[in-house]
Amino acid sequence: MGEVQRRKPLWRQLANGLSGLALFVISLGLMKEGAGGLAPLLQGHLEIRNVADSLGFGWLMACLVLSGSPVAAAAVALLSSHVLYPAQAFAMITGSRMGASSVVLLVGFIYALRQHERWTALTAGVLSLLLTSSIQAMVLPLGLELIRRGWLSNPSLPVLEGAAIGVNRFLDPVLHFLAALFPNWMLFVGGVGLITLSFHLFDQALPSLPLQKTDFGQIPRLVYRPEVMFLMGLVVTFLTLSVSVSVGLLVPLSTRRYIRRENIIPYILGANISTLVDTLAAAALLGDPRAVSVVVIHMLCAAMISLPLILLAYRPYERLISNSLEWITRSRRNFAVFLGVAFLLPVFLILL
Amino acid sequence: MRVLLCTNGSPHTVRALQTGSRVAQATAATVDILVVLKDGQEEQAALPAQAVASDLEAIGVPVTLLHRSGRLAEEVVRQARAAPYDLVVIGSRGRRGLVRLILGSVALHVTEHVPASVLVVKGRVGELKKLLVCSAAGPASELTTRFASHLARALGASVTLLHVMSQLPLAEEAVLEDLEASAAALIQRGSREGVHLAQMLALLEAEGVAGRAIVRHGLVLDEILEEGREGDYDLLVTGAHITPGLNAWLVDDLSADILLAADRPVLVVRQLPAKLEPQPAQNQVG
Repeated sequence: MGEVQRRKPLWRQLANGLSGLALFVISLGLMKEGAGGLAPLLQGHLEIRNVADSLGFGWLMACLVLSGSPVAAAAVALLSSHVLYPAQAFAMITGSRMGASSVVLLVGFIYALRQHERWTALTAGVLSLLLTSSIQAMVLPLGLELIRRGWLSNPSLPVLEGAAIGVNRFLDPVLHFLAALFPNWMLFVGGVGLITLSFHLFDQALPSLPLQKTDFGQIPRLVYRPEVMFLMGLVVTFLTLSVSVSVGLLVPLSTRRYIRRENIIPYILGANISTLVDTLAAAALLGDPRAVSVVVIHMLCAAMISLPLILLAYRPYERLISNSLEWITRSRRNFAVFLGVAFLLPVFLILL
Repeated sequence: MRVLLCTNGSPHTVRALQTGSRVAQATAATVDILVVLKDGQEEQAALPAQAVASDLEAIGVPVTLLHRSGRLAEEVVRQARAAPYDLVVIGSRGRRGLVRLILGSVALHVTEHVPASVLVVKGRVGELKKLLVCSAAGPASELTTRFASHLARALGASVTLLHVMSQLPLAEEAVLEDLEASAAALIQRGSREGVHLAQMLALLEAEGVAGRAIVRHGLVLDEILEEGREGDYDLLVTGAHITPGLNAWLVDDLSADILLAADRPVLVVRQLPAKLEPQPAQNQVG
């Protein structure tokens, strides 16, 4: 018997969506306003001065706030306030994706410990981090090279800039008022908190997608074409703004809460591209063409890496990921090594 | 059973003729041998077919030799659609990579376009004494198992039912036990896969065929090929890619993947031999 899902009232979904949008805009303003005050902390005390530092910082921040999207939005806000330069912002966004996957692993680890060491529960987290790291390891050097070569360095986006000016007209009085009351670093921290809340409200506003009634209802049982699952991950995550939410939509399809690894691997690859669409919206709302170009380059690089993998080398890639997953979950020692790397590497990057 | 053996005189199709004739002998089939030669090709290429036909006739198997000129794949499909065959036997050169991408695969084309089941003879060809049946643990796999059981009984072969669990848990409340279980544990627990495997083992037992079930964990295609190699099976048996509606485009064609990647003969089951089809119920006259 499938469980009965209670439909959320439309007015509540609308209210959540509008509140989320308002908080999203306000939080971006707060982060931009407060970012200047964060420069001494980041560049002085934490020594976030280069690409490696920024990568580790984004990674750890995402682990701390248990989500990648607020950290990616913070990265473009810091770029917009000239606290970070474009390559650093790019690396911090990359770190945010790594951190978001580490969170899935961390949640699975805690669950496995609570459930008398049921290590099978860890596979989704390990898979998520493996896929993200395998792609981001190639996205990072490619993106940095494109930024160095000046790709999309001066995009002209008059529509977005106009929209940003329009939003700022309403937002500036509020921000100036708050800036007079609180120190800048507190505005930034408040902004990160509010944007995390806004993403939570967006999740609440999402209508449930009735995948069971479509041709994708057999996803837990049948093996779908990788191109199909890749596109599905891309589109569903574009609509839901979050990898974890879009993956979560697959859960009700199976009474036993399973999915075939052949289906989830390309799905997450597609999802990892479009999950930055909210960061793109944040960059556009900040009205900073450099921020927009950094996010666009990030999405382009992820697509440039993932598409050839899916179309030309999918089987070997799938085999590599599956074998790595098996090795990591085979013994406690292997898993401890993987977990250690996942959480110590960002610290090491900052200390470099 | 009515069998169509196909050759164009090339070594791999001649090997298919020989394997197919052994299957035909064992299953007491009637046989058509289709010889497809290109324009200008020497008649000597038809000699192996004539030899096989003579051998079969000598032991009482009815044989008809059919001669065509043209392309092998197209002529086989045309003939297989023209008559109600239960099994089409064809050889495969086993092309890989770029060469296959450019030249295509005759065996795959035939498998995709004929209404009958297809035995593709490739790689190392043995006595067909060990059959590996790839089971999705669903109703569609029953057809595959029934066909394999019929063939195994005729050939005196054993059957191993293989189910691959490639599933991963997606939520905390996932039923984790099944993901790590062996075939025996799944059967004992009465899970969906276990129930199906138990039914299929009972079917094999009823046919007098030695059978066992195994479950592997990993990627479906890789685990099937690995089991084929590790167990040194003589024949891999899989169901045809039959998915209705839009799913035909969405779902991966695993039987094609197995057919192209396997290093040994593959039987793609599309339908049961006519005499094995369940008979319609008789009207009761009170």
